[in-house]
Amino acid sequence: MSFLHCGCSKGRVSESDGPRPYDRSTYTALPNDRAETPVKTDGMSSSESNSIAGLEFEPAAACYELYTTIGKGHNEAANINLAKHLTSGQLVAIKRICLETPGLDYNTLQNEIVLCQTLHHSKIIPHYCNFMYCQELWTVMPLMAFGSCRDLIHAYFSTGLSEQTIAYILRDILQALEYLHNRGIIHRSVKAAHILIGANGKVCLSGLQYAYSMIQGGKRYKTVHSYPDNAIQCLQWFSPEILKQNLAGYDTKSDIYSIGITACELGNGQTPFSDMPATQMLLEKLNGTKPILADSTTVADFIVEDDINGQTVNEETKAETAIFQRTFSQHFHNFVALCLEKDPNLRPTATALLGHPFLKNLRKKTTDVLPGLLHPVTPLTDASRLPKDNSVTEQLTDQMSSVTMEDDWLF
Amino acid sequence: MPLFGKSQKNPQELVKGLKDALQTLQNPSKDKDLKKASDDVTKILANMKVMLYGTAGSDPQPENVAQLSMEIYQGEVLKMMVENLEKIDFEGRKDVVQIFNNLLRRQIGTRSPTVEYICTRKDVLIALMKGYETPEVALNCGMMLRECCRYEALAKLMLNSEEFYDFFRYVELSTFDIASDAFSTFKELLIKHKMLSAEFLENNYDQVFHNYQSLLNSENYVTRRQALKLLGELLLDRHNFTTMTKYISNPDNLKLMMNMLREKSRNIQFEAFHVFKVFVANPNKPKPILEILLRNKEKLVDFLAKFHTDRSEDEQFNDEKAYLIKQIKDLKAPEES
Repeated sequence: MSFLHCGCSKGRVSESDGPRPYDRSTYTALPNDRAETPVKTDGMSSSESNSIAGLEFEPAAACYELYTTIGKGHNEAANINLAKHLTSGQLVAIKRICLETPGLDYNTLQNEIVLCQTLHHSKIIPHYCNFMYCQELWTVMPLMAFGSCRDLIHAYFSTGLSEQTIAYILRDILQALEYLHNRGIIHRSVKAAHILIGANGKVCLSGLQYAYSMIQGGKRYKTVHSYPDNAIQCLQWFSPEILKQNLAGYDTKSDIYSIGITACELGNGQTPFSDMPATQMLLEKLNGTKPILADSTTVADFIVEDDINGQTVNEETKAETAIFQRTFSQHFHNFVALCLEKDPNLRPTATALLGHPFLKNLRKKTTDVLPGLLHPVTPLTDASRLPKDNSVTEQLTDQMSSVTMEDDWLF
Repeated sequence: MPLFGKSQKNPQELVKGLKDALQTLQNPSKDKDLKKASDDVTKILANMKVMLYGTAGSDPQPENVAQLSMEIYQGEVLKMMVENLEKIDFEGRKDVVQIFNNLLRRQIGTRSPTVEYICTRKDVLIALMKGYETPEVALNCGMMLRECCRYEALAKLMLNSEEFYDFFRYVELSTFDIASDAFSTFKELLIKHKMLSAEFLENNYDQVFHNYQSLLNSENYVTRRQALKLLGELLLDRHNFTTMTKYISNPDNLKLMMNMLREKSRNIQFEAFHVFKVFVANPNKPKPILEILLRNKEKLVDFLAKFHTDRSEDEQFNDEKAYLIKQIKDLKAPEES
């Protein structure tokens, strides 16, 4: 994430490779384009500002100028560039995936793109358009100039974000989940790296390539059993029931567990279970170990168990002091505990969590408060200082044109 | 999941309400009516969906499902929904897809009433195929079409319609989402029902392969790669023996494959190999084919020896490659020319 000046942090992957609702401004070629559809339904979706009103993002590489790489995605197969939309001057993010990458599953990619076009919610990152350029699939998305929450933690908030910041972020993410869950979709990779923040403080959920629909073949299933392909990168966030892989299956409640882990990740600056091998983590989860927020009220637990955050705390006394001097509200602690119930039936739904005292009293719009809360971090809003990246297009066109002619067949 | 109000309407009321509202959308008189009609449509569709699918907490009621289906058939509602899809809002369209797909799978004993119903209303299928022309509804139509493809009777209607040939255009659209979705449907139509598709390809060989050629020569990398892969699958399927024989008798096809073996993209090279091998393995090569192979004998042997040598773990591929090299080495000119 060079634009956050944290190029060295190991977790710099800003997997902004999410999905997006359907943006009608995308399509220019065919008629019948106008008339913004009012998005209503259960009141959760509004076309707030996903698409910049009136802008059309053409499905053609020539309409964009690429700047520096700001992230990776899809197991490093995707490169995310900052880019400028030439006709409007608008900054966007373009995810480029080379389809020649060995081991890349075309069908997964296609499913993701189609799924994303069937989602339309202000808190889910939209795709403006998808098109092919030489051997690369380009996806144009809004630039989320603060980067992902993972980036922010790595670069600036190593001991975690403030409670209020987290509350606003989680409220918006739960709204996105409520939308998905009502449509029978399980996200399956809720984590800080998939929470993106725009320059204006807008929060978006990304990472929908891992989502799974419980409605298949004209039927709604109560539980599903598909084990996600991305398992390795999400083990820490997975619910015990996904990890068990047994006949009982799992449902939308597994996302709620991931919310709990994400809440700890945002609050502590470190992901629970990140300091232990995967097998141990599995055992801990199956035994019902609940990660907790580190603060003055839980300091005793950390000293006794010395498990969850032990290492970092020992290394950095300063950070330790900061962590154990702060106090998160009881509501926040309770919120985390509810999400992390081992029995999925005891976890509240996304809708119920939005009414939890931890979130209920947030009166303001996230965009009004978040930039202030993140101070002194500033988002990238000026691309003029950044290096242009012309090499991409040149290389690719080269590749395509230089077919070897020397040794031709004789026809 | 108490999404919608408590007062559940019964199936008759829902269907009647939907018909009325859709009619208003079709022939708007005043702007005010339009907004209300649009809201009504969305609300009723959501209700119907819940009736057919149940919710996270409750199963669908069989009596309601049966009655709702009856009302939908009798009221010609499927057709109305499909034809007015563009006028329905974003979430409503998705509900139409789910209602449609649920009804299509409905079974009474061994009968599929919805499939039988659509068989007598081909225009529903045509409208769905034409949906690819309208970006707003293209993906929704694709989801319904692929569900229809599962039924041979419906696939047959689609294959034999003139609109089938529009797919050759849809798969080349610049918007990746729509183009790739159209390709999935196209592929499903040609792959799903073996006998049906074999007969179709035989009877329409010229028209299909004339169009198919443009996909193999497409500027678009994905189109080229997907089309080539599908071609390989079709030719190697035993049901398509007649079509395969015809295809590998044409020297132009051989030339194209030989050129594709040399493409920059390794994926395309590899797919081309699987079509090329059929030409070589053919025990009765027509003279023009044999001549091309003979003329390039040395080059081909060299080329194949170096071709994708890193696939050492793929036994079948290596066996096939060794076989091809041997076949080409053993090629002899016809005795009398």
